[in-house]
Amino acid sequence: MYSSIKQPELLPYGKIREDLFRPLSGMTKTYFAAILIPLLVILFGAYAWMAQLRYGMGVTGLQRPVFWGFYIVDFVFWIGISHAGTLISAILRLTDAGWRKPITRAAEAITVFALMIGGMFPIIHLGRAWYFYWLMPYPNSRLLWPNFRSPLLWDLTAIVTYVTGSVIYLYLPLIPDMAQLAEHNAPWRRKLYRALSLGWTGSDTEWHALERAMKLMAGIILAVAVSVHTVVAWDFAMAIAPMWHSSIFGPYFVVGAIFSGLAALMIVLALIRKLMGLELYLTRHHFDNLAKLLLLMSVLWLYFTMAEHLTVWYGNDPNEMVVFGARTRARFAPLFWLMVSVNFVVPFVLLGIRRLRSIGTGVIASVGILLGMFLERYIIVVPTLSNTRLPAATSTFYTPSWVEVAVTVATFAGMIVLYLLFSKLFPIVAVWEFKPHPHEDDL
Amino acid sequence: MSATYLLSEFRDKDAVASAIDSLRAAGVSTADLDVFSEEPVEFRRGVLDRPSRMSLASVLGAIVFGAAATAFVWFAQYNYAVVTGGMPVFSFWGTGIITYEMTMLGAVLATFGYFLWESGLLRKGDATAPVPVVPPECICLRVRCVSGDAARPTVLLREAGAVSVEKKAPL
Repeated sequence: MYSSIKQPELLPYGKIREDLFRPLSGMTKTYFAAILIPLLVILFGAYAWMAQLRYGMGVTGLQRPVFWGFYIVDFVFWIGISHAGTLISAILRLTDAGWRKPITRAAEAITVFALMIGGMFPIIHLGRAWYFYWLMPYPNSRLLWPNFRSPLLWDLTAIVTYVTGSVIYLYLPLIPDMAQLAEHNAPWRRKLYRALSLGWTGSDTEWHALERAMKLMAGIILAVAVSVHTVVAWDFAMAIAPMWHSSIFGPYFVVGAIFSGLAALMIVLALIRKLMGLELYLTRHHFDNLAKLLLLMSVLWLYFTMAEHLTVWYGNDPNEMVVFGARTRARFAPLFWLMVSVNFVVPFVLLGIRRLRSIGTGVIASVGILLGMFLERYIIVVPTLSNTRLPAATSTFYTPSWVEVAVTVATFAGMIVLYLLFSKLFPIVAVWEFKPHPHEDDL
Repeated sequence: MSATYLLSEFRDKDAVASAIDSLRAAGVSTADLDVFSEEPVEFRRGVLDRPSRMSLASVLGAIVFGAAATAFVWFAQYNYAVVTGGMPVFSFWGTGIITYEMTMLGAVLATFGYFLWESGLLRKGDATAPVPVVPPECICLRVRCVSGDAARPTVLLREAGAVSVEKKAPL
């Protein structure tokens, strides 16, 4: 009946509400399986981490001189994915892009969960994770304070700010929807939604305050999101190490983060569209716009990658050239060229040629991009550390151990579980933003 | 004189705007008018404007957090002065990121706090006021007036196009 509708905003409000609230109730076998399998993977990841806590960092593949490996790659990767939501949602909200409506909440949820996961990795990487509170500035018997000049502290403050801002930015537009859900649900859910909606009544005072807060938060969160990945880049750039000490690392990382974030968003949206039957709300139009954004970011990413490598090659500094060579024509070359292929060549063909562009090819390109961006972080972290500069030091070939791989895979499973739980508790599309205006009924 | 509430239902926002104009012309204060809807309703300028200081609160929150964080870092750096090899013990280059992030955190928290205050979600100012159940596709206008003076606003609401007007006592 509604198959020809191109603007979901013009559907009757009753249908919108029914369609978007329906996935919250009931528990299908598919949902149960979809949550159980990742839970088992998480359990195995937890077992691996326990093994690391019990036996020490020796169970990982980290050894002199490669002290940063998969965990730091994971950290940068997940912080990058977190740029999917808040940043994209904030840009689209500030520019009042109408097509943002069905995708903002799905995107904002990715941000919160990816940050929670990414923020765990510095703690896992510490080895003695139980001393993580030493990062906090609190009066202690040793009269010591954390070193505020350390990029590790910068990371902590940036991530705390970004998590706080992102949770609030996700929560604010959820309030009106939760107020509606509070009237129509099972007792425990009613209690939950009532408590979280803070007694929202839908008065103009509340709507005005909400809209003002959302606009302000969008502006603030944009500035924070850019700073967070810049700070992550500076973890590397502040070290005088070959192919790390670069002034463009900040924007390079921000571009890469938005790129991988968009790819993650494309995959998540395609999955929830299929699994929750939201074909009317997440239309080809939305995926087409996302594909164009992905294409733009792919070109920008290539530009930064070329700028970074060309300046090193032209400078011909021996220390830098060793790492450059390792990346482009020696042991890391297969990974490097695979990265270039999946980050640029594949998206350029699948998304750039209009005839080939579809939801399916968008998802294929996005999976490739996520792989490519994981490889990019690996190629940034490992080759620099593998090539030693002290005469007595020996170079080693870092390979992640089963512990690192299990923990990494578990974080992907964690993302799936968190997302499934969220989509069962809260509408994944903001219902009130879809409400048609009375005069539009006549269209 | 005890207060009473008129709960009126409208089908479109222009009718609500016209009702608000007539009521204000008849001497009803903006503070006594509330519009309820399932989505934000935007009126033309001058109709039920709700001035806000949220931006100011956000800036003040940013300044307070940023200044407090900078002062704390300065104190901590001098409280246990590490050997810096001739470099300054406290430097904005080294700690500017902390100042920046804490400034932003201040802005975030102040905006959220002020939202809770301004929206009335925390204050619950008039707990006795009845809250209308808004039917789909409808906008409700609540008018607070003195019990004996409800007749004139009722007529104005109907003239502006209210589908229904209901008189309710405070809860």
